Amino acid sequence: MAAMNCNVAIVSMHDYLDGELIREDVASLKAHLIACPECRARFDQLERTEALIHNALDMRSGVVETSESAVRTQRILSGLPVRRRKTMGWTRWLRNHPAITVAAVFAIVMFSSFIAMWEQDDQLTVRGNDLTQLVIDGDTVTVPQGVHVKGDLTVENGKANVLGDVEGNVTVIEGSLYQASTAHISGQVKTIDQALDWFWYKVTHSFSSLAY
Amino acid sequence: MKSMEARLARMALKGDQHAFAEIVGLYQDKLYYMSYRMLYNRQEAEDVVQETFLRVYKNLDRYDDTMKFSTWIYRIATNLCIDRLRKRKPSFSLDAETGDHDGIDGYSMIPSDDRTPESELMLSDTQRIIHNAIETLPAKYKSVMVLRYLQDMSLQEIGDVLELPVTTVKTRVHRGREFLRKKLEHKL
Repeated sequence: MAAMNCNVAIVSMHDYLDGELIREDVASLKAHLIACPECRARFDQLERTEALIHNALDMRSGVVETSESAVRTQRILSGLPVRRRKTMGWTRWLRNHPAITVAAVFAIVMFSSFIAMWEQDDQLTVRGNDLTQLVIDGDTVTVPQGVHVKGDLTVENGKANVLGDVEGNVTVIEGSLYQASTAHISGQVKTIDQALDWFWYKVTHSFSSLAY
Repeated sequence: MKSMEARLARMALKGDQHAFAEIVGLYQDKLYYMSYRMLYNRQEAEDVVQETFLRVYKNLDRYDDTMKFSTWIYRIATNLCIDRLRKRKPSFSLDAETGDHDGIDGYSMIPSDDRTPESELMLSDTQRIIHNAIETLPAKYKSVMVLRYLQDMSLQEIGDVLELPVTTVKTRVHRGREFLRKKLEHKL
C-alpha cells in the first residue's frame, strides 16, 4: 500500500493512538506520514492532544485531599439505610413478582374450597328432567325395567342401577353404575370419582348451564 | 476465581458493614473524579457519588458477578451523571448543534460551577483549555472520553459500562479527540 489515502491515514492515526493498529498498518501509516507533510502535522497534533488529555484527566494531577476523602467516606456510610432488612430469598422473590403471587394465592384458595366442597358433599343427589319414575332406595337410584326416562340423569354420591331406558346422558359422580342387559342409554355414560374430573365436570357443567 | 470486589460485595450483602466500607474506600475517589469531570460541579459530583453507593448498597443482591464489579459501579455512576446532564437541558434542544461549530451544542452554553478543586488553580493555560473543551463536549462524547482518559479503560470496557458496541465507542473517542485537537490547535 504505497499511496495511502489521507482519510484512511487519519482513521489509522486514531487507531494507532487507541493502541489498536496492527503492525502492517503501522508500517503503511509510517510510510504515508513520511510522504505527506499535512498528515504528519496532523498526527503530531493528535499525539500532543492525546498526551495533554491524559495529563489533564489524570486522577493524580487533581489530588484528592485525604481528609476530604475521609469526610466523604463517613458521609456515604452514614447516608446508607440504617439496617439492612434481612429478607429471606423467597419473600424478596414474592415482592418482586406480585402478579404471580396473587395468582398463586387465588389458585390455592380456589383449590382448597373445591377440595372442601368435594369432601363435604356426601349426600345423595339425583338430577334429571324426568325423576318421577325413578325408585330411590337408600343410596341406590334405580331406573326400573320397562321405564322410559326422558333427558339426562345425574347421580351424585350413590349407585345408579339402570334397568330401563334413558334417553340422554347418564353421569355418576362418586359412585358406581350398574347397567342391566335390558338397559338402553342413548347418550353418553360417565363415571366421575376423581377430584380433577369432578372439577372439570363442575366447570363444563356451569358453562353449559350458562349457555342454555 | 472471584475478584476481590465480588467477594466484598457478597460479604456486604450478608450484612458485613466493613466489607461495604472497603468498597466505598476503593471507589469513592475514582467516582468523584469521574463525576466531577462529567458535571464540572463539586456538589453535583458529591451527590452522584453518594447516590451511586446508595444504589449499589440497595442492589447488591442484583449484582451479577459474571460482570466486573467496576463495570457495574461505573455504569451506575455514569448513568446518574448522564441523567443530570440531560436534566440541565432547557426548553430548546441541546442536541441540536448550533450552526457551523461541529460538536458544539447547547450543553456548552450552560454555565458551570466556578469552584474547582484547589489544585486546578495552578493549571496551565493549555490544561484550562482542555478542561473547558471537555466541559463543552456533548454528554455522549464526554462519558466516553472521561472513562477512556480518567479511568484508563479499554474500548471494550467502556462499551460494557455504557452498553454500547465497541465500534460506537471507538467512533466517539476519535471524534472527541478531533474535537479537542481543533480546540487546542493554536496551542500545539
